[in-house]
Amino acid sequence: MAAMAEIIVPDSRRCINFFLYDGSKVKGEGDPTRAGICYFYPEETPLDKQELLCGQLAGVSRCVSELSSSPVRLLRLRRSKFAIRMKDNFLWALSCSVEIPDVSICDFLDQLINLFSFYNGPIRQSYQIYSQEDLAVRWTQYLSHLQGGATELHHIFSVLSTIDSTHIDPLLLLKAALILQACQRCPLVLAGCVLYCGRVVSTQMPPDLTVKVMVHEMETYKQEQRPNGLSSSSSSGSTPLSSPVTSTTVFLTTTELQYLRSAPVDRESRSKSTQSTPKESNRPRKSRLLSRTLSDTPTTDPLDPDPTHYVPLSFHYPSTPQSTIPDESLFSPSPSFHTPGPLSPSPIKVAPETSGHNLSNGKLYHEVEEGVTGSSYDHSYNSIDGGRDESGLAEGGRSMQNKDLRHINGQNGGSIVLSGERAGALWFSGQESPEPGSQRMGNVKVFKEKEGQGSKGLLQADTCDVPPYSPSPGENSTEAPLLPMSLYQHRVRGLVLALLVEPDFHSNTVATEEVYHSSLASLNGLEAHLRTTALGAPGPHGPYTFAHFDCIQNTLTTNLSGRPGGAQECSFVRATSLLHSHFSHTEALQEAIVRSAGAAVYGTRSVAQETYFLQKGGAVRNSGIPNHQDSAFSLPSKARHRLMKHGVNLL
Amino acid sequence: MKCLLIASESAEVLFYWTDPEFELNIQEQYGASQEEGEKPPAFEDSINTLFAPIIISCSTMVDRLGDSYTSFSTENNHTYVLHQFEECLYIAVNGDREEGEEDLKRKIYVMKKMIEVLFGMVTLSSTLIRKELRPQDTEQRTNLWKYLQNLLETYSRLQEQDQSFLVEAVERLIHPTLCEQCIEFLERRLVQQINSSVERAGEEVLHAFILVHTKLLAFYSSRNASTLTSSDLLALIVMVQNMYPSNIDLEDTAPEVGALRVKEVEYHTLSECFGSLITVSGTPVFQFLDPDIQMAEDSLQTLEAPPPDPSNPSRVFLEVTLKEGCYPMMPHSMYCLPLWPGITLVLLTKIPNSNLAMSVYVFLEAFAKLEKRLSEGLEGSAARGQTSIQDLRNKLDKFIRALGTSDIQTSQLQSVWTEFKSRAFTRGGPGFSKDLVPWCRTMKSQLCGVYRQCFITENTVGGGNPQRLSPSLQDRALTMVQEKLMDWKDFLLVKSKRNITMVSYPEFPGLIHFIYVDRTAGQMIAPSLNITDRATSELGKGPLAHFIKGKVWGLVNTSRIYLQKGYSTVTLRDGDYFFCYFLWFENETGYKLEVKDLPILPNDSAPIGMLAWDYYRKLLRYYSKSHQGEVVKCYELLTVHLGVIPTEYILQHCSQLARKLWEPSRIPLL
Repeated sequence: MAAMAEIIVPDSRRCINFFLYDGSKVKGEGDPTRAGICYFYPEETPLDKQELLCGQLAGVSRCVSELSSSPVRLLRLRRSKFAIRMKDNFLWALSCSVEIPDVSICDFLDQLINLFSFYNGPIRQSYQIYSQEDLAVRWTQYLSHLQGGATELHHIFSVLSTIDSTHIDPLLLLKAALILQACQRCPLVLAGCVLYCGRVVSTQMPPDLTVKVMVHEMETYKQEQRPNGLSSSSSSGSTPLSSPVTSTTVFLTTTELQYLRSAPVDRESRSKSTQSTPKESNRPRKSRLLSRTLSDTPTTDPLDPDPTHYVPLSFHYPSTPQSTIPDESLFSPSPSFHTPGPLSPSPIKVAPETSGHNLSNGKLYHEVEEGVTGSSYDHSYNSIDGGRDESGLAEGGRSMQNKDLRHINGQNGGSIVLSGERAGALWFSGQESPEPGSQRMGNVKVFKEKEGQGSKGLLQADTCDVPPYSPSPGENSTEAPLLPMSLYQHRVRGLVLALLVEPDFHSNTVATEEVYHSSLASLNGLEAHLRTTALGAPGPHGPYTFAHFDCIQNTLTTNLSGRPGGAQECSFVRATSLLHSHFSHTEALQEAIVRSAGAAVYGTRSVAQETYFLQKGGAVRNSGIPNHQDSAFSLPSKARHRLMKHGVNLL
Repeated sequence: MKCLLIASESAEVLFYWTDPEFELNIQEQYGASQEEGEKPPAFEDSINTLFAPIIISCSTMVDRLGDSYTSFSTENNHTYVLHQFEECLYIAVNGDREEGEEDLKRKIYVMKKMIEVLFGMVTLSSTLIRKELRPQDTEQRTNLWKYLQNLLETYSRLQEQDQSFLVEAVERLIHPTLCEQCIEFLERRLVQQINSSVERAGEEVLHAFILVHTKLLAFYSSRNASTLTSSDLLALIVMVQNMYPSNIDLEDTAPEVGALRVKEVEYHTLSECFGSLITVSGTPVFQFLDPDIQMAEDSLQTLEAPPPDPSNPSRVFLEVTLKEGCYPMMPHSMYCLPLWPGITLVLLTKIPNSNLAMSVYVFLEAFAKLEKRLSEGLEGSAARGQTSIQDLRNKLDKFIRALGTSDIQTSQLQSVWTEFKSRAFTRGGPGFSKDLVPWCRTMKSQLCGVYRQCFITENTVGGGNPQRLSPSLQDRALTMVQEKLMDWKDFLLVKSKRNITMVSYPEFPGLIHFIYVDRTAGQMIAPSLNITDRATSELGKGPLAHFIKGKVWGLVNTSRIYLQKGYSTVTLRDGDYFFCYFLWFENETGYKLEVKDLPILPNDSAPIGMLAWDYYRKLLRYYSKSHQGEVVKCYELLTVHLGVIPTEYILQHCSQLARKLWEPSRIPLL
């Protein structure tokens, strides 16, 4: 039994080895294996070991894929395992400790490959254009970027690091969203994200694309210390202040591009603002719009009847009906909430300046964006609350917050805050959209201010109609063509505005200047605010450990510290890894409790999230025989109760 | 698309089994590379060529990296599992998603277990087992492989259909009165009579048991016999099922079929593969009239040589625990006497020269220990063990002298031993050093060779009649038990299909299914899950029953994954169902013992179960360390409930169920 008790110490690194092998270079008998090795990590590995691994794995993979008429995906050894991708004559292999779930390591490899194609284009072509050494620098950089995770949980989930939304003024998030939204008025801008110190503040892109964009941000950040580093970036000459702005050619898959292009952006108003309108008349409005301070709220041209404005984030309800409803009726060109609207692009509904003054006291009021949810929201609302109409929203909210603990809510202000599960309902109902061929993609976040400040809260809903976006794993390694686009970046110290733009954006002086000038002041303002906000304050620690993974946004909320933890932390990570793996291949599995002698872990998941919970403390000695009074079985209710204050809502 | 392959390190195929789809796939791949009009190569050669690069890469990885492949999976979900036992590499493939990695690993371990049961300690010598698994003579090889292929198919069928092979514990027929009567009958009448007969030819019945399909009706072990381990018992049931397969469709009709007729038929026994070695003659056995069955039987007969004599026993190698210690793979003879279709009497006998096997094992162990110490560079401690080495020397000298008086060829063993002695014990010679390691290996190999001569080809050695209980004695035993059970026959066949049913548990509303396992005794109880279209259980028939069956099978696999990582309690909400799994320990009086941290096993550890590798025995030994002087028992309960039942009721059910089921499991398995 001594052998049975063997305990595995997980490797702290996520990746042990990684290599790219080009089989086309090793065809003849005499060809040395080293000729096929394009990149090998760690680079200091002795060449004969590199050759051994590459030669054996490539050989065995080819043999197996011939036997099964399908490429090898995973290759396991006793002490490690390799995720494999095979395309044409290329073979990518990434190894990790056996403790990391299969699904996680395969995702990691796909991310890495896609990241490479994003910046360098098709693999064959990039190895023709650039030298192997240059590309090796890039592989190293991408690897280190993807491996940077605070906790062991980052080895399990592909996490997009975001700023801690529970410790930040929601207004800043709103502001970031507005900057992006304003940039999108330029028709050459596809989508963007705002990053601060390597963390996402706001994004309009799907998570896997945001991750790719972030790498460049890190790269340019480093380049400030290392100006001659390898980069294909070129300063955009069209802007007067060229230094903080860079642009890079990037390659998008057709699926990604289709997704970005189909975002319901107001094309008509865009063209008005950038193309048909003379600068003189346009600029003042825009710059005012985009350089507003926090106490400002942006306005829309009230005459614009087009309901296709798109607000990427921010979804909020009128807190004081008496003050806003008249304005709303005035400024809202679209049908009101409960009108079953098409799931077409949503209108921007922006509060007028009159109500904007209310905001100057620092309280967040509203940023109404009705119609974002359209009928689907209405349905979910009605279904939950028994069919209230719009006028009853505020009261409905109040009554809900009293009755219904599921809502994270303010006290008196009457602002309705949609909490997680509501947002989930919103999302689901969006999915059940009756419109054929359309699927609602929603990024929903709940932000709330510290208690005691009254009614604050903001539901950030990034909802838009898109064709079903599902990045197929290893998309780039199949036959998906890659289309060159451009990545525009504007840096203000730690803050970066990154925009994916059409390739001809840079040749369009009007567009570049406008995007630059319109966002400059806002970025400065936002940066100043973010700098003063304490970032990364650890979440409240309690007699429990939890991890909450949002599968839509790829964000992770946890109170697990980055330091190597004690026995309970280890058992938490181990259980989470097992359960995540189990969830990933068992579609119908919703909840699980697993218990060893020392610890019990509860895991639950829905389409949108996975949550894991461990109650710390003296393990109550038990016999393991079924006993309904066993403390392990009270974990679900404990988790529901405890995680409330982390903004995690388990219905 | 399934395949199992055993290859030597030099990529020689030692055994293969494929299903028709896999065979077709290989042939197609080979056909593509063939010139028009050229004769396709032999299937064995094709499979050899296609797998050779994998096999060679495996040994390269072991040699140069010290690591080996354990599995591959492809994008279209084909799974390959590899495992190396000594110098034999086992590769199992699945291409139809019916088996996962764990299933394939289990299959590999079961195959290895069956080979151990059939070849005993010969498996300890790579050279010998290679020769044994791949006889030079083509016909002999074909027959052996056919037998092993059938055995593997039988196991796979049982594992897919039978809950006792799912959880790897023996299921007993729940009928205490009849069970006790039968045990008494086996003891007082049958075993006593055989063991006192002069026709037993020196053999002694140690264990006798009656199987109704795969379920155990009665089991009797004679006083001086060692316990038969669950692992061995399960392996023997696979062999019996392979000889007398019970078709599930057939079982449903069996009780009604009156039209049995006697017909000459062949069954698959190990003796077939030694067709040339063993004198054979046909004897009548029962067979059904059903044309389908007839056809199935026919298709199995295509390759068979002259029918074997069912009165010839199978040689099986089983673990024996005596006062002196535990001896694995001791030779026994197994007699399977078919009472009626589906009901079989099995006798396990001790053969006259089995003491020789014990001596061989003791010597093998001594040389293995010595080799280990020497290769670890612990010459000092190897030499310090002088007394035991001297003891070994004297014993082995005596052993070889004793062998000289028998018919066994010992000249090689003798010369190797002389060489060994001259190196190890001569003053001024190399003594106990690393140089002795290869000689230890040669000695082991020679000892295995002697063992092989004694127990595997013994029938050729004497040239006379094979060693066995006389056929008339076997006939008498058969008739005795038939008379005893005549009135119960039909009842037993029905009972084996409806051992216990969920109808008997009305106090647990919402409970769909459960499995309760006593791991100490290696026994399980579960309501019958009938999935044939003809039978209707409470689960209904057809798709729903299949669905539930799939869930139960999935739950067992899931619980093993968690158990492997040290979790003894698992609850899962899966769609409309709620699953529970519990493992706990009790002492003999039923007092619940505190749960202890279970070992966390590496991912490439042997599959959890009792058939191939007895995890639970090791678990009990591990747990008992902290409960010295106390008998520790281990139990498992798996339940499937409807998801709408509140969790607290489900858990209450589970604890009530565990209490309720505790009683029947008290029936002693003498």
